[in-house]
Amino acid sequence: MSTSVSEPQAATAIRIADVCKNYGDYQVLKNINAEVARGEVVVICGPSGSGKSTLIRTVNRLEEINGGGISFEGQDIHAPMRASELNKLRSRIGFVFQSFNLFPHLSVVENVSMSPIRVKGVSPATAHDKALKLLDRVGLADKANSYPGQLSGGQQQRVAIARALAMEPPVMLFDEPTSALDPEMVGEVLSVMKSLAAEGMTMLCVTHEMGFARDVADRIWFIDAGEILETAPPEEFFKNPRHPRAQRFLADLRH
Amino acid sequence: MIQDFITIIQDYWLLLLIGQYPNGPLGGLANTLILSALAIALAFPVSILMALARLSKWWFLRWPMTALVYVTRGVPLLMLILWCYFVIPLWTGADVPSFLIMLVTLVIYQGAFLSEVVRAGIVSLGQGQMDAARALGHGYMGAMRFVILPQALYNMIPSMISTFVSTIKDTTLGYVINVPDLTFAASQVNNQLLTQPFQVFLILAVVYYILCWSLTYVANSVERRIARRRAGPRNARLPAEAAPLKTITEQL
Repeated sequence: MSTSVSEPQAATAIRIADVCKNYGDYQVLKNINAEVARGEVVVICGPSGSGKSTLIRTVNRLEEINGGGISFEGQDIHAPMRASELNKLRSRIGFVFQSFNLFPHLSVVENVSMSPIRVKGVSPATAHDKALKLLDRVGLADKANSYPGQLSGGQQQRVAIARALAMEPPVMLFDEPTSALDPEMVGEVLSVMKSLAAEGMTMLCVTHEMGFARDVADRIWFIDAGEILETAPPEEFFKNPRHPRAQRFLADLRH
Repeated sequence: MIQDFITIIQDYWLLLLIGQYPNGPLGGLANTLILSALAIALAFPVSILMALARLSKWWFLRWPMTALVYVTRGVPLLMLILWCYFVIPLWTGADVPSFLIMLVTLVIYQGAFLSEVVRAGIVSLGQGQMDAARALGHGYMGAMRFVILPQALYNMIPSMISTFVSTIKDTTLGYVINVPDLTFAASQVNNQLLTQPFQVFLILAVVYYILCWSLTYVANSVERRIARRRAGPRNARLPAEAAPLKTITEQL
C-alpha cells in the first residue's frame, strides 16, 4: 500500500457519511456511516432488499442520495459539480455489474480498450496492448477477438473486470458479480477477484459468496433494512455475530 | 398488350427518366431519386436528434418535441404537404419551390416516425448499457455515440428500412403540389395517350417496386454482413436461429 503526499486523505479510500436515500416514503438507506481504507477489501452482506446494491451504486453516483455525503479520496462524489468532473471521478472507480453489461457490438478487446481511448485519450495502439495484457491476466487472451455473445457468463464477467481495470482505477466496486452465473462459473470469477485483492486493490463487494467473504475480506458490513448493523472482521462476524439480525441471517445461510 | 408497354417506354423513356429537362425543371425518376435520397439522408440525423430530445431530462427540449411528434404522427401526410405548401410562402413571403416544400415536409414527417423507431431502440436496450458506460467515465453524449446508438440503430435496421421505403413511396404525394417527379411524368404521359392508363401506371408501379425492393435488399445484406462479423471469424455464417428480416413482406 503506497501513501502519496499529493493525496491528503491517503488512508481512506471511501468515506460514507450519514447517507440517506429514499424512494418516495420508503427509506432505502438510513444514515449509513462507513469507511473503506486503502487496500482494504470490504464485503457487504445482508438479506435481499436490504439496500446493499443501492448503497454500492451511490458510491459512484449511479444512484443519487437524499442526504449525507460520500467522499472518494477526499472528493465529495455527490457534491454539485460539472458533468465532466463527475465523469472524471467515475472513471477512477471501477464498477462490475451483476449482469456484466458488456457492450455486445464490440469485440472483447474493444470492450476493454474503448474507454481508455475515448475517455482518457490513450492512443489506440497502447490501449490495445494494455487490453490484451489485462485479458491475459483474467485468462481470456485467446478470446480477444470474440464477441461477448460468444462467451459464457463467467468469461463475460471476467472481461467486465478487465474492462473496469483498463481505466486503472484505485478502487473497484463489485455489485453481486457472481449472482447471475451458473454455479460452475462462480469459481473462475472469484479467483480473479481474489488475485486482485492479493495485489492490494481496494475493493468493496456486494456478494452472497460467504466463502469468498471469509477468505478474502478484511471486514464485513452486515446491512439490513437500509442500516449497517454490524461491521467486523470475517472470523469474528462468522463465529460470533453480535447483532441478533446477523445471527439469524447466518443461521439461515447454514440451512 | 406487351407491345403497348414497349411502345410507351420507347416513346417516353426520356420524359419518365428526367422529365422536361433540359427544357424545363429536372423531373421524372431522377427527381424522385434525388428527393428520396435527400429526404432519407436528412430525416435520419433529424430523427436521432428528435429521439434524443424526447429522451432528454430537460423539459424545454422534451415537451415541444413530444408535441411535434404527436401532431405529425396524428395527421395525414397529404394534409401536412398542403399545409406547408400554403403556409410556408405566407410566412416567408418568398416563392419557395415545391420541391423544397416537399423535401421539408417529408423530413419532418418521416423524421417524426423514425424518431419513434430510434427512441424505441434506445429504450429497449435497458439501463444497464448506459450504467456501464457512465461507470467507465463516459459522458452522456459519449455513451450515446459509442455505446447506445450503435446498438439501438443496428437493432432497428428492419424498422428503419420500412420507414425509408415508405419515404420513397410518399414522394409520390408531391404530385399534388406539382413536384415534377416520376409520378408527375407518368401522369403527363397518360394525359398524352389518354387510352392506356393501365399500362402507364403499371410501368410506374414496377419502377417503384424495383426502387423499394433494391433498398430493402441492400440494407438486408448490410445487416447480414454485420451479423456475420459479430458471429466471429470461426463461425462465419449467420446463425440459423437469427430471425430473418420481415421488411420485404411488411412493406411491399
